[in-house]
Amino acid sequence: MPSTATALTPGLSSFLKSLKTNPIDTSIENLVSLLKRRQIRHSRSCATATAYLLLRVISACRTSESVKLIERVQSVGRRLMAAQPREMVVGNIVRRVLGLIRDEAEDDRDAEFALSEAGSESQCQTPRAYDDPSLPLDRDMLGLRAEGSERSSRPPLTSMFSLLSHPEPENSLPSTPGTQSPIGRVPGHGLSKDVRAEVLEGINEIIDELGQVDDQISAYALEHIHSNEIILTHTSSTTVQKFLLKAAAKRKFTVIHAESFPNNHDSTHATVSGNSTGDDENLSFESFQKPLVALGITVILIPDSAVFALMSRVNKVILGTHSVLANGGLVAAAGTRVIARAAKVHQTPVVVVSGVYKLSPVYPFDFDSLIEYGDASKVLPFEDADLVEKIDVHNPIYDYVPAELVDLYITNLGGHAPSYLYRIVSDHYRKEDISF
Amino acid sequence: MASTTEGTATAGAQPFDIVATYNELLRSDPDLTMPIAAIEALVLLLTHEPSSTISETLDLLAKSTEHLKKAIANPIGLSAGTDLFQRYLITTLQRPGQLGPAGDFKAIRTHLLSNGRLFIRRAKESREKITAFGRGFIRDGCTVLTNGGSRAVASLLQKVADEEGGSFAVRFNVIYVLSSISKDIEGPSGEPEGMETVRALRAKGVPVATIPESAVAYALGKADMVIVGAEGVVENGGIVSRMGTYQIGLLAKAIGKPFYTVAESHKFVRLYPLGQYDLPIVQQVVDFKTEEDIAQQSKPQAPVDSNADRPVELPLEDSVDFTPPHLISALITDSGVLTPSAVSEELIKIWF
Repeated sequence: MPSTATALTPGLSSFLKSLKTNPIDTSIENLVSLLKRRQIRHSRSCATATAYLLLRVISACRTSESVKLIERVQSVGRRLMAAQPREMVVGNIVRRVLGLIRDEAEDDRDAEFALSEAGSESQCQTPRAYDDPSLPLDRDMLGLRAEGSERSSRPPLTSMFSLLSHPEPENSLPSTPGTQSPIGRVPGHGLSKDVRAEVLEGINEIIDELGQVDDQISAYALEHIHSNEIILTHTSSTTVQKFLLKAAAKRKFTVIHAESFPNNHDSTHATVSGNSTGDDENLSFESFQKPLVALGITVILIPDSAVFALMSRVNKVILGTHSVLANGGLVAAAGTRVIARAAKVHQTPVVVVSGVYKLSPVYPFDFDSLIEYGDASKVLPFEDADLVEKIDVHNPIYDYVPAELVDLYITNLGGHAPSYLYRIVSDHYRKEDISF
Repeated sequence: MASTTEGTATAGAQPFDIVATYNELLRSDPDLTMPIAAIEALVLLLTHEPSSTISETLDLLAKSTEHLKKAIANPIGLSAGTDLFQRYLITTLQRPGQLGPAGDFKAIRTHLLSNGRLFIRRAKESREKITAFGRGFIRDGCTVLTNGGSRAVASLLQKVADEEGGSFAVRFNVIYVLSSISKDIEGPSGEPEGMETVRALRAKGVPVATIPESAVAYALGKADMVIVGAEGVVENGGIVSRMGTYQIGLLAKAIGKPFYTVAESHKFVRLYPLGQYDLPIVQQVVDFKTEEDIAQQSKPQAPVDSNADRPVELPLEDSVDFTPPHLISALITDSGVLTPSAVSEELIKIWF
């Protein structure tokens, strides 16, 4: 099987192709090593690969009990996250899938309660049964967003009131596998078999979301980019590109583009030769700038060192990101913090565009551990061997940008203040999945 | 449970004194927080007053709460408890179901009355939850600066210290800011608040440095983070805490150190102070005096106390200040690590 995988250049597309033919364990191994070797590296590619893999894992799972599914996804998720802890999107997708399974399992239980309630008034119906009986029925029609907001309306009864609430809920509330299992098993296979189908559908929705996210974000472009503005951006992320393109269709503005030296500048040089494309998120600068230029937008390429000098003329800074953290901070390509700081000094608004899938529930306890160091030869090529021996060369790939340097996040759900991100986190991830 | 039955036994003829009960509860269990003591006092009140209708009960609660708030010098913490109790009652009554309007009012009454101990236990358990969330903040080799006598902070630090040898083994140092005000007044031992925690931590092998409040700015350079407790967390995410917390917050902001607050979510209180002097308490911290005033004060003054309606003054050693939300990096609560702006949402959930 490895032969089929290695026949292609290892990466996202080859992985997705091999996923169909390879046995599941090989695929997991495959993704783990791809992540370890950084052959899949951009947030979206990692997210897509994870989602497809979990889709396979669940459809290959012969069990239909939610507890077993959760265990399986958790064990696969742990391996993937251990392979590349800094790609936080992997963990995000795993957590969302876990949340999906838990939701479906709980819906099942609600439905059963609704049935049993008619017959006998059991004692443990207290909290969940009244939650809302309408929930299981129109579930499928609700999109992801509605699902999130509806889930978030549930905690009120459990959060501060949990102190005073009835004693029974306490036993059933910490919805751990222990309490879920007996109920899941009692009623034949008919109901719980549905869980798997529902979850697969949910994962497909996540995959769809990954595909549409940039277009959804770009829908907000016209609200934020106005005529004759000067926009500064950094790196070549598709999200930013689509965002700018959308605005360029209607308005004329100027884009100042910092080249992001050692790690992304080679795509700048590709502007001249112009033929680098890949399955990754970052486009070559040519494909980034050409459509903008074609639409009559002035694009100015500057070195990173000129950011501060030009910042006084910039109206708005629009940044892409690697991942967003629960406290409102973000991990983005090296150089982002310099730009954000310069923007702060000049009171220039900083807008970060990012799909919700990049939003991680992880709280950054230790900022240094989030930053990855890349190939030092990009800074100082090994041809300069005698110099390399004498000095230390570092090439950090990411920067941590604290929340107070960001003015606005634009996700596929709309614009949010950094201090509001905790809410989106609680809408998308279950508390019990945050550290699994 | 035990105290409930004991309470009914002694009830007899004398009327129930909620203020005395509240104070007694706080005295008897040093681990009890003010909101929980207030809830307990209300539970005991309900056992003494046989009210069978909803409005009678709510009326009784409102009156007693009012009385209690007036009698206690610092009602911020306890009002979090009384509010929570009242809202819980009302929300449960409005919700359809066994305990709702269709159901029996007696059911909810008996639930509240029979579970007094349970509430206390849960409140204490919430500190365990906080420890679980807060553990990640204390990294190996870091130095934590803290102040006051918060039980939540103490339990967090001690739990982390306990992990010795386990998978979470963490070596950390603590800088403990000891208050100078309370030194000579506090009890017979005459030691400042927090000494107990200092001893407990040192016994567990954690190196602790104690510094006076005046050395905070000097010492902050050696600290990696500040962790403080809170008496109440107000609606905008700021905290009401032991005097001196505000200045630590300002200094931490100036020096660029993260400032974390540890508080149980039952301490969230519906209050929106606009500044230091906007808190619903009377404390004579800034007290302008001339020689003449001092001479006058030293004379015995009997007749002034006749006015019972006068608000009670908070003694200097119990004085509090307000730390605004922009100084707080995060709140470590039993419902997770929250940003200050999440507090208002939690409150809105129970009020509306």
